[in-house]
Amino acid sequence: MVKFRKLTKAGLLGQIQDNFKKIIASDASSKSIVLSNDLEINLQRIKVILHKCSDVVYRDFIFAQNEQIRLALIYIDGLADSGQISNQIMRALALEVPMAVPGQNITKSEALEFIKQRGLCISQFKETEQMQDIIHAILSGDTILLVDGHATAIINNSRGKVQSLSNSEGKTMVRGPRELFVENLRINTALIRRRIKSPNLKIETFKVGNVSDTDIALVYIEGIVNEKLVAEVKSRLEKIKIDAVLESGYIEELIEDNPWSLFPTVNHTEKPDKLAAMLLEGRVAILLDGTPVVLTVPNLFVEYFQTPEDYYQRFLFTPAARFIRFISMIITLILPSLYIAVVSFHHELLPTPLLLSFAAHREVVPFPVFLEVFIMEVVFEVLREAGNRLPQLIGQIVSIGAALVLGAMAVQAGFMATSTVIVVIFTGIASFVFAYSASIAFRLLRFGLLVLAGTLGLFGLISGVAVIAIHMCTLRSFGVPYLSPIAPTTGADLADVIYRAPWWAMFSRPRLIAGQNRKRQEQGLKPSPQKNK
Amino acid sequence: MLEKGKISSIQAIMLMISMILPTAVLTVPAITVKSARQDAWFSIIIATMAGLLIAWMVVNLGLRFPEKTLFEYIEDILGKIPGKILGFLYIWWFLHMNALVIREYGVFLATAVMPDTPIIIFHIVVVAVAAYAVRNGLEVLSRANQLLIPTTVLLALVFILSIPNMKLSRVLPLFDAGLFPIVKGAVVPASWLGEIVTFAMIIPYLSKPKEAYRVAFLSILLVSFFLTTSILEALLIFGPNLTGSWIFPTFNAVRMISVGNSLGRLEIIIVLAWVLGGFFKIGVFYYAAVLGSAQWLKLKNYQPLVLPVGIILVALSILIHDGIVDLLDFLKRVWPPYALIVFEAGIPLVLLIIAVVGRKGGRKIA
Repeated sequence: MVKFRKLTKAGLLGQIQDNFKKIIASDASSKSIVLSNDLEINLQRIKVILHKCSDVVYRDFIFAQNEQIRLALIYIDGLADSGQISNQIMRALALEVPMAVPGQNITKSEALEFIKQRGLCISQFKETEQMQDIIHAILSGDTILLVDGHATAIINNSRGKVQSLSNSEGKTMVRGPRELFVENLRINTALIRRRIKSPNLKIETFKVGNVSDTDIALVYIEGIVNEKLVAEVKSRLEKIKIDAVLESGYIEELIEDNPWSLFPTVNHTEKPDKLAAMLLEGRVAILLDGTPVVLTVPNLFVEYFQTPEDYYQRFLFTPAARFIRFISMIITLILPSLYIAVVSFHHELLPTPLLLSFAAHREVVPFPVFLEVFIMEVVFEVLREAGNRLPQLIGQIVSIGAALVLGAMAVQAGFMATSTVIVVIFTGIASFVFAYSASIAFRLLRFGLLVLAGTLGLFGLISGVAVIAIHMCTLRSFGVPYLSPIAPTTGADLADVIYRAPWWAMFSRPRLIAGQNRKRQEQGLKPSPQKNK
Repeated sequence: MLEKGKISSIQAIMLMISMILPTAVLTVPAITVKSARQDAWFSIIIATMAGLLIAWMVVNLGLRFPEKTLFEYIEDILGKIPGKILGFLYIWWFLHMNALVIREYGVFLATAVMPDTPIIIFHIVVVAVAAYAVRNGLEVLSRANQLLIPTTVLLALVFILSIPNMKLSRVLPLFDAGLFPIVKGAVVPASWLGEIVTFAMIIPYLSKPKEAYRVAFLSILLVSFFLTTSILEALLIFGPNLTGSWIFPTFNAVRMISVGNSLGRLEIIIVLAWVLGGFFKIGVFYYAAVLGSAQWLKLKNYQPLVLPVGIILVALSILIHDGIVDLLDFLKRVWPPYALIVFEAGIPLVLLIIAVVGRKGGRKIA
């Protein structure tokens, strides 16, 4: 008999859920929805709205004063202060109320008032009947208390302090939030939630690694992301059969499109604000427990020329900054090779005074220019590696001391020409300008081009550059051509490549990344002074 | 289909420009100026007309047989055996033309830039780079071309810088040579512009086949524009006598440039543009030969043919001529009737007539 009742109840709930999905589909903002008297139905509705949000905690329990009355708590793990919730709400309602008010029997209809007056040990709360308010409260880090038999929810203020890492010594920001991701997955998801308080921000969690059993979370915004992309990422993640994943680099290598390429086709970030911006463009993020490095796909090459500051500073400055980054990339790739090609094959290119001074410098140098540059490049890479390994303060001393002293001494001793030292050090500095993960590719390719320029001069250099360009054209990241929107060109997307469109003109999301919903904002946001009528 | 990629109309235009322009700018001015003298620019206009006509024929044929390349519809029109024979001839023609292009390249690099390097090194490197692009298919070829084509803009920049060296009187008097030399001078540029026949291999892979006419015509017009610019540049700087006596007059024109005392010897820029353009010119013909052979042999995949065809190209480009004089003589005397009359105009015209009269091929795409 009991079984039968349960079945019908489950069937009924299933029906409610189906109907509710339709309602949500017709009215995405769920504005008009009001709570019902039935706790089960309310819970189901919230679960429908917040489906695929694995960080939402539903906790139902029995009210200590009357075993007939069921209560439910809903909050977001990581965002709400769970210590406060268990101590001041759960402990009070499930345990301590009968001690304080012994013997009093509370009926279902009195329960809400009683809880408000005597049950809750919390300083701030609100009441609401609107589903919209409830969802907003949950996503803001508040805790919802639902009481069976009442169409009113109590919103308890439980917004905790999310313990993020402040950007004290990593990359310095000119402008923008200093927060960084940390090693804890729950805190990281909370950091994202704090920026995007939408029920459409989906966080799906599963496990990877037979031995390590690491939590991994797939984060995207439903309605913006391309559904096929989510399915593709999921299927690639599901294929991973490995004993342990210790850092997101493992995942990156296991899901990327072009495992043999030097160029990374999965981007990563440690900045919550940057990640939020990427999610809003329709990308999918992969968070791994135990590392602050979050992966994002699909990854386009142009991302390496975009920095968060580009979007916070004045937009007119951005083209200049991006041009500098682009030039730095070219310098990193070809300047030493160009120097070799010109000095050893095409000296007619140099103006005569410059040629004479080059010749004068090089007179005492015992090596051919190719060998000279090659040795100097290796020395620079050694210094760089040493700087990476040493503690920060010593690292700086080593690199400055070495660069200055070693360079000057090498010239004085007649090992190197001054021009070679200038070229190599400037190239080294330029390679720091754009993102590290892409710059490694260019640093390595640079040595290949050195050999080509040393053997075939400019022709060899150009051939090498052409091969690199062709190679980059073959790359794809989760189906999106790596060099888009430049090649192939997609007109509207160029608004965020060479320049950055001002926010009042950034109308659409990238076409090749986002799904159907490409509209970012309304037209006519351009500010203008109030006209007197 | 052998090729799964699709390219946009703009990519196709860029590909066609890269296919015709690089060697045209290099070799054509001297040959045309020798015949038409200071009216060479008018020869280019006549050649453009011929080029447009060929482009029209090719696109018309291509649209009659949607989703089919030259090698596929040639059999539909003529039947199996004659179609196979003609298809084989076209494969040969693509290989031959490409070998000539590679040779021109090697000759240019060896004489103008690096005289001490054996010419075969240039051939091997150029073919290897093109092979890498061809192996990755049409999409990659056209994307890489799109990425690197801005170097062509450098050609225009170079033209602006040489304005101080120009004298307008050097192209006067107009129409001095008479009609026949002008038409005769148009033959060689027309044979270059007729290379648009290769577009027949690309029409099925356009994402919007409707725009095929526009693509072909725009490509021809843009190439003609650049070609006229470079001929005029050489003529205005050197006059007809000197221009006609050099092998690469445009290259010499750039050598004359000197801005202030510091910016001079800019020819390396033009070398850069030509070398980059050459990868794609050779790449397109290479691709046409490889894809055509695969379709001719009814293979499922064209990639296995890339390496053998590349080896043939390198060998052929070395064996085909003894030296630069031989090569230029061939380009001047044999190439126009052989390429223009047979492969670029003749066979497409015959095919079009048979297709129209015999009502072959599907409806044109509206």
